[in-house]
Amino acid sequence: MNNVQQAPQTIAAAPKKKKKSSSLDAKKSRMGWVFVLPFIIGFVIIYAPIVYDSILYSFTKINIVTGGGYRLTWVGLENYQEALFVDPTFVTTLTSGIKQLIFDIPAIVIFSLFMAVMMNTKMIGRAAFRAIFFIPVILSTGLIDKIDQSNQMLNYMNDTSSVDMGDGGSSNTTEIISSMDIQRLFQNMVIGEDLLDYVVGLVNDIYDIINRSGVQMLIFLAALQSISPAIYESCSIDGATTWETFWKITLPMISPMILVNTVYTVIDAFTSADNQVMNYIETVYDQPGGNVLSSAMSWMYFIIVMLIIAAVAGVLSAYTFYQRQER
Amino acid sequence: MNSQNTAPKVMKETKNSIRVEFDRTSKKERFRIKYLSGSFIVGVIWAIFRYVLLIGLAYVVLMPFFSKVTGSFMSPEDFIDVTVKYIPKYPTLDTYKAIIAESGYWEACLNTLALSLFCGVVQTFICSLIGYAFAKFKFKGSSLLFLLVVLTMVIPHQTLQLSMFMRFRYFDILGIFNFLGGGVTESIEILRFTSINLNNTYWPLALLSLTGLAYRNGLYIFMMRQFYRGVPDELEESAYLDGCGTMMTYFRIIIPLSIPMMITIFLFAFCWQWTDDFYTTVFFTSSGMKLMPDIIMTPKSLDTDFAASDLYISAIRNTCGLMIILPLIVVYLFGQRYLVQGIERSGIVG
Repeated sequence: MNNVQQAPQTIAAAPKKKKKSSSLDAKKSRMGWVFVLPFIIGFVIIYAPIVYDSILYSFTKINIVTGGGYRLTWVGLENYQEALFVDPTFVTTLTSGIKQLIFDIPAIVIFSLFMAVMMNTKMIGRAAFRAIFFIPVILSTGLIDKIDQSNQMLNYMNDTSSVDMGDGGSSNTTEIISSMDIQRLFQNMVIGEDLLDYVVGLVNDIYDIINRSGVQMLIFLAALQSISPAIYESCSIDGATTWETFWKITLPMISPMILVNTVYTVIDAFTSADNQVMNYIETVYDQPGGNVLSSAMSWMYFIIVMLIIAAVAGVLSAYTFYQRQER
Repeated sequence: MNSQNTAPKVMKETKNSIRVEFDRTSKKERFRIKYLSGSFIVGVIWAIFRYVLLIGLAYVVLMPFFSKVTGSFMSPEDFIDVTVKYIPKYPTLDTYKAIIAESGYWEACLNTLALSLFCGVVQTFICSLIGYAFAKFKFKGSSLLFLLVVLTMVIPHQTLQLSMFMRFRYFDILGIFNFLGGGVTESIEILRFTSINLNNTYWPLALLSLTGLAYRNGLYIFMMRQFYRGVPDELEESAYLDGCGTMMTYFRIIIPLSIPMMITIFLFAFCWQWTDDFYTTVFFTSSGMKLMPDIIMTPKSLDTDFAASDLYISAIRNTCGLMIILPLIVVYLFGQRYLVQGIERSGIVG
């Protein structure tokens, strides 16, 4: 009897609820605008005009007027054509830079995830390790980076490293391991020459990779912190091993941040000061009449970066898990 | 009915039986079971592996840092002496004393602290606000707007340096000030201005922070968006049902949830503002306020010329760098305590 009585009630309630939820949606979409308002204001007032100027320059040639000031002449796509077809090194620099990046991204993201998981487990001296691996975040930006670029102390310390060897070994001591060492290790595994070179390259670049993955490490750490311990608890009660828990719980829960970190790694690699394409664009800027050419180059470069980011984000977001129901 | 009454009794019995079992087994036996089991050995091996790896990587990070620290205690004699490499023979604090005395360290520290604190707090809050909007509200053009956020991240600010300087040198909102200055207020002498020079004040950085356009703010927005997308909707729905408005829900429910993420963002924003040399050199001329970039200089009392003076001067510059990041490491050690406290995210699991 009870069930029969309830049925019409739910039917009657359904349209009413729908109406209400749509008005809530409208209200929420209005609130959405309120929340992003600061960004919109800033973008319209400050950012858009700055970017507009820069785009405008890439379609013009600047002539310095002798009396002071400058005059812009519209030349259309000429600067772009010059960058692509006339300039001898732009295209090769671009392709090699992108190739390098595609190899670096997985290494940095996986390394930082690994380190974050390791530093999230309870152990003695965790705070100290966290502080140590935070150092690259400070050191790799701004002032300290500027000091390091002209740092003769470091060069001096590294130069004399052959003295420490004692045996006066002629092998280049700057590399941590040589390809031979690993080759011996992997002799019987059929993993191919290219992968070997890749691994050797990664190990030799370990300082660079640590320096570049400090930010990602912290982001992952924060994401790991915000996973509810209750989930792990229920998992261990159900008898899951740590390995299973990592793949079934940790990885899906932090997958939104994997997306962030990958995109950030791409952007960081593309826009850092020691990126070869950026360096090349900067040298072009200093050439006579190169400022418009460099602006054309950088815009092309940004379009490529955006395309890569879109591709990476598209692939990753298909595998990203969000802890909520999609409607 | 019967089973309900007996249930606690049975549990008590098992507890007692466990205790009896525990007392019967000898100490030696207990230790053998505890420490010779497979899981314990695996745990030990894993711990050793972890420490070896962490210490090795920490060495890679700390070695250049260590050489800077020892270099800062060296006196000029140590740089001439070839046998000195890491450990100075004539340790001295002269470098530190000279920098504190001559470069106005405390003043720069205070100014930068004020600037970084303000920017850090404002950026954290604004980015969380914007990220929340992108994560939870569906409105027209939200994906286009988010694309613009990514765009601000991708375009390096160095390329916009000149136009950014000009924009804040002759600050004007959509030509309104220019219009006022040119037409309406021309008769009033005091109000006749065409634009405002905001450089050499905190305003440019404050405006950029308030609008989520400052250094790497796109990253923060992206981080917050991804974080909030992972927060279950049921939390907000229950808040709405209890009569909370959107703003109230945001402040009461959402912000407490996102504390670890916000602390991380605050740390980034604070540290990057602290060591920033791009915006501070664009917006602040050297004659103006003393900020961190002004510290990097060679104090006059140490500016000598001898065989290894190049090394000495770079050691002095390194010391300046150390003094700049010292407060940051203190801040981090303080902040990571809060980072460690994992929070119970929600009552809803799954």
